[in-house]
Amino acid sequence: MAQSIAVSDLVVRYPSSGGKYTEAVSSLSFEVREGEIVGFLGPNGAGKSSTLKALMGFVPASSGQCEIYGHAAGSVAARRVTGYLPEVAMYYPYLSPLETMTFYGELQGLRGAALKKEAQSILELVGLSKWMKTPNRKLSKGMLQRVGIAQALLGRPKLLILDEVTSGLDPVGRQELRELLRSRQRQGVTLFFSSHELSEVENLCDRILIIDKGRLIDERALAPLQEELRQFAVVYLGEVELGDIARSVSFRGESRLASFDTRPKLLEAVDRIHSASGKVVDLIAREGSLETYFIETLRRAA
Amino acid sequence: MRPRIWITLAKGVVTESIRRKDVWVLAILGVVIIFAAAALGLVGITGLEIFMKDLAVTVLGAFSTILAVLTSSRVFPEEVKNRTLYPLLARPVRRGDLLFGKFLGAVVVSWAGFLILAALVSAVLFGLHVHLGAIAFQYLFVKCLGLAVVCSVGLGLSTVMTPAAAATTTFILAFGSPMLSRALVLTAQGSPASLPVCRVVEAFLPQTHLFDLGARLVYIDWSPVSLSVVGGLLGYAVVYSSSALFGSWLILRRRAF
Repeated sequence: MAQSIAVSDLVVRYPSSGGKYTEAVSSLSFEVREGEIVGFLGPNGAGKSSTLKALMGFVPASSGQCEIYGHAAGSVAARRVTGYLPEVAMYYPYLSPLETMTFYGELQGLRGAALKKEAQSILELVGLSKWMKTPNRKLSKGMLQRVGIAQALLGRPKLLILDEVTSGLDPVGRQELRELLRSRQRQGVTLFFSSHELSEVENLCDRILIIDKGRLIDERALAPLQEELRQFAVVYLGEVELGDIARSVSFRGESRLASFDTRPKLLEAVDRIHSASGKVVDLIAREGSLETYFIETLRRAA
Repeated sequence: MRPRIWITLAKGVVTESIRRKDVWVLAILGVVIIFAAAALGLVGITGLEIFMKDLAVTVLGAFSTILAVLTSSRVFPEEVKNRTLYPLLARPVRRGDLLFGKFLGAVVVSWAGFLILAALVSAVLFGLHVHLGAIAFQYLFVKCLGLAVVCSVGLGLSTVMTPAAAATTTFILAFGSPMLSRALVLTAQGSPASLPVCRVVEAFLPQTHLFDLGARLVYIDWSPVSLSVVGGLLGYAVVYSSSALFGSWLILRRRAF
């Protein structure tokens, strides 16, 4: 599968006081394959926005390489295939969403009736059909975020880079956005986005990248990670043999704790405990939390 | 050469100026001048013609320069301040195109404002039976060249300064151009050793006073300047504006946002 994004040993430095430099991104390397949805996670100040800005060419890389579909990041060719949503959505207050789309569309190289049709259909898609001609200054934060998402979708980009994509959206808006992004993925669009909303990441992503202090500290496919994070366990009393179906069995005082990979194995274990006249003290069955994993990963890296 | 992108960016600057009512404020000021001038005319002051022309030229020169400075020194930093620059830079637009498109927009706004005001003032003067003559066209053309120079300075400074600092500096350079030139001449006369430095400084300063043919418009017996002078001014405006824009592009092309 072709690579949408290839980042190799990226370093981004900003000048700070006293002629020194602050390193926002340090030797960062990762790839995003075509058609993937990849979440880019990290605490505040981890270097997420700096990485996205380097990918868009807003800040020059101090060293290393960034490529988008084989083109140097920030080049006109790279930007032609990329849709970008900035972290803070601000759009010309004196223009309406339709005028905003027309303006950006013309800069994208679109013209005339085709541009108008595409702009209107995207605005309808993001739920702004009623506010197409309302000046941006009269729109709420959530609506402005929708304008931002709409402008990122203009020109049918092959790659969407979205910084804090769900910022300002209500739960309904988030669900609509999820569906919209999934439909774009089905059309072959690659999505690379940063978010502090880990539930959104869990719902959307194929893979996650976690960075801290400008360095990549973890990179995981989400499905196996979620499998790994799931907890199925039983705490019981009695001499019951569960070693053949349990992942692990340990003693907790008089009771034992048995952990399982799947829910059916847990249910089978409960049956066996009852059959053997044992006593179930506690049952644990929960999906793993990405948030807990994220925090633990950051702690481990610190 | 990407004229379509320049036109789109310039249209954006013009739309902003119209919606922010900059041009309307100018038009209202023009109407106020019309009424004030008409009132003077009704009183029947003798020798009014020169006074009226002088007033018209002063107002035209000052207001159009103010519009040019405010528009050019704000178009770029406002984009940075309001964070509207990011979706703009995310488009397949080169920074040079961005700069030139914004320059073009600022020039169109200042020219349009100047010409609208000039039309209003001319209408008033015509109503008062004060005729400007064909030299008015030369005055308008040369003034437009001067406004382009002012816009290039305002835009250029705004890439390295805050909008307020850029506007203040451009005002000083635009309105203080004759004083600054005179000061340099006096410095060079007082200390001949400083002549090369004064020449270099003078070359960098925009000679906006060269584009003011107001006096020729006011005094009937003053003749129009020759075509070669107009050609020289056109050449100066093109070279100076291009140099200012090139310098701004050198700063902008590697700037981090």
